[in-house]
Amino acid sequence: MPPRIPFLSAPRALSVRSRPIAPANQCLLLARRQTQCRNYSDPKKDLPKADGLKGPNTETLPSISEEAASMASTAGTEGPDLEQGTPVEEVVQNDKEAIDKLPQVMKDDVKNKNGTRSYSTFASSGRQYSTSAIQRQEITKQPGTLAQNDIIAMTRQQEAEEARLIEEYSLDRELANMAEPEAVVEDLSGLKFGMPKMPLPPGSHYKDRYDPLVDQLVGLMIQDGKKSIAQQNVAIILNHLRTAPPPTYSPIRPMLPGAPPPSHLPLNPVLYLTVAIDSVAPLLRIKAIRGAAGGGMALQLPSPLGLRQRRRTAITWILDQASKRQNRGSGKGTFAHRVADELIAVVEGKSSVWERRGAIHKLAVSARANILDVRKRR
Amino acid sequence: MPPLPGPRWALRTSLDAFHSQWLLNSSLAVPAAQKSAFSTTSLLSARAAATAPPPKPRRQENTPVKGVRKTYSVKKARKVSTAKPPGPGERKAMRKRIILSNTNALEVQGLKKLEKEMFAGGKELKELSGKMMGLEDNTIDQLKAVQAFQPRQGWKMFRWPSVLMRKEAVDVGHALQNAENNKTSFRRVLVGDKHSGKSVLMLQAQAMAFLKGWVVIPIPDAQELTVAHTAYAPLPESDPPIYVQKNYTAELLTKISNANQAILSTMVLSQQHKLPIPVQNNISLDRFASLGARDPELAYPFFIALWKELTMPSQEGDGMQRRPVMLALDNLQHVMRPSEYLDPDLNKIHAHDLALVKHFMDHLCGSKPLPNGGAVLAALSESNRLKTKELDYLIKRNEALAAGPLMPEQTMPLWSPFAKMDEKIEASMADVEILRLKGLSREEARSIMEYWALSGLLRQKVTEAFVGEKWTLAGGGNLGEMEKAAVGMRV
Repeated sequence: MPPRIPFLSAPRALSVRSRPIAPANQCLLLARRQTQCRNYSDPKKDLPKADGLKGPNTETLPSISEEAASMASTAGTEGPDLEQGTPVEEVVQNDKEAIDKLPQVMKDDVKNKNGTRSYSTFASSGRQYSTSAIQRQEITKQPGTLAQNDIIAMTRQQEAEEARLIEEYSLDRELANMAEPEAVVEDLSGLKFGMPKMPLPPGSHYKDRYDPLVDQLVGLMIQDGKKSIAQQNVAIILNHLRTAPPPTYSPIRPMLPGAPPPSHLPLNPVLYLTVAIDSVAPLLRIKAIRGAAGGGMALQLPSPLGLRQRRRTAITWILDQASKRQNRGSGKGTFAHRVADELIAVVEGKSSVWERRGAIHKLAVSARANILDVRKRR
Repeated sequence: MPPLPGPRWALRTSLDAFHSQWLLNSSLAVPAAQKSAFSTTSLLSARAAATAPPPKPRRQENTPVKGVRKTYSVKKARKVSTAKPPGPGERKAMRKRIILSNTNALEVQGLKKLEKEMFAGGKELKELSGKMMGLEDNTIDQLKAVQAFQPRQGWKMFRWPSVLMRKEAVDVGHALQNAENNKTSFRRVLVGDKHSGKSVLMLQAQAMAFLKGWVVIPIPDAQELTVAHTAYAPLPESDPPIYVQKNYTAELLTKISNANQAILSTMVLSQQHKLPIPVQNNISLDRFASLGARDPELAYPFFIALWKELTMPSQEGDGMQRRPVMLALDNLQHVMRPSEYLDPDLNKIHAHDLALVKHFMDHLCGSKPLPNGGAVLAALSESNRLKTKELDYLIKRNEALAAGPLMPEQTMPLWSPFAKMDEKIEASMADVEILRLKGLSREEARSIMEYWALSGLLRQKVTEAFVGEKWTLAGGGNLGEMEKAAVGMRV
């Protein structure tokens, strides 16, 4: 007798099954998992221990005073006393608004200059006007940029000295011709003039022979692809800076710290140009990320600029402003003269390029919260 | 898809052809008037047509409507500059202004100045060879008055106008001394490459002439005489006609009286001249010249009278004293060709038919002597260069003649047998020597580079290698090119 068919359980053996529900949105799930609320302050839990990996904020840069102190200890000089901390007077030194809001006691202190210390915790005293300019100057100094009056005397003296040395040397050689020690002979085969001195002096490579800033200015002044005309114009600018009366620095618009006194500028027009452009160059730019602020609004995101980018921005602004100046001469090179006048105006703090820089920096300060905002979103 | 050849296609085409044929020919085709099922009476429609205004032409799609823009454009507000525009002549003055000092440049210690005493004998002059010399205040004023400084000569870079006493300059100094002693005229055409220092050598010659107490009569730019920018008129009773430029002559008299005031004020009028106005008998020559400069109508007769006075033979002892004269002309090419002026027949007037040019050329070729000695100098310009075939040939010829007998491998430069030689130009260059300026020597180059370095404009150590490099780059010591390479900020 065949077994009875169990009517209730029979359909279960059928192979037709309903489709399982696919996980709707894994990203969403993940996101939910991430945003789970886990309070570390929960007393029931033990705090997690760091596993040796460094987070983004675990190692911050030292404060200005700490940095200055470490620099001083490296250099073997006396730096700021870290135990004392930075006095408030020094913090508010350049901020007039903050000074007004100080308590009366401190205000009086500031007035009487009692709070000043013999050293400064500001790093500015050690920072130079333009690191690259300084470096370049130091390198170029090696072949000899001396006090101009000494040059010729030095040159003549040196040559005489060299001649004397050569003579003496040859005399000595003759005296001790047999006992001459064997020197280590370099392999100079195939070299007509011997090995060049390393490192090669700046400008010895033909593609890199000009000052980088001057080269950049030439590039930005090219019109219709005529580089040679742009070079002529830059030469006119530099010669104008050389012949114009020395500028007067404005206390409201300070140059980069460490800038030379204005009387030194005209005879070093490349430095003049560097001081003007590097001082007015913005540190940041504002990226507008479309729709990121919500409601179709653009998110203003400040981002730092590199050296060449900073200079490029400043040069563009200056050229822009120069083209708006009125032309008072005729013939060629009039635009170059206007650019030179604008550069002088920048150094004297009269140029409206400063306002553009100020506006960008102000906006960047107000938008710096957005940087955090982006990190939160990730 | 193209119709396929075959029975179906053949049938279709034949049917189409039949259909159209049938439509055309059959009497079944409906006439146009009977198309609608009903119609208005002709009377009513005619009345309506008579009373109604003419129908408006229906505007078609896509035709532009007047006064409505299809594209979106925003009119920019035109910026109105509130700044005062440059006044008339201000822009040119800016371009042509001459700056002789740069207060930023360092003062060169121990820079000596060219002085009168250096020209007393030839010995001192020889010692100056290859040295930088400053110019005295008075000399600078005089050179300014004769417009010897030019804007592109680099004076604006340095603290004080100074010149390099190159070999040629010292030679010119000696020649001026000889001309004064022997009462002869020193006649030269200054020739050389672009930026080789022709005009500056001319300036040096004029400076030396001023220091020696000569009278300098300058034509700083010969172009001004021939480009037809000043008034001209034929001189009465001249045949062939000679043309006088009265305004230019008046300016020239001003330059002469300003520049040579010191020496002309010691001379007085000695002759009776035919002049349009009565003149005081013993008037000093500087006042005489400025009197003639006051009115262009008087200028030419006064200039001729002044010239006669200056070329009166100087007397011995306490008698009338006259000084040597220097005639200096720059941009010579412009007066070695027909000018831009037209005669009554609308032919171009030859530059040598202009009175002032003729006066200069007569003395350049030596047909009219300078009884008290003097110099006639003309300089070519290579930056404002005109093509003058005749002059180029004559310069070559005169150089070859001066070089002495030809070597067997050399040939005398020849004028093209198919071209016409300008006789006036040939006559003016018949007996003139050529002074060709070449590059500086290495010692001279070093001397001037040291001056640049001491002025603070050359920020390099002046070594043999540096001098050699710049000297070579400047095409063998071309002064202007060397300055460009060392001082100019062409980076």
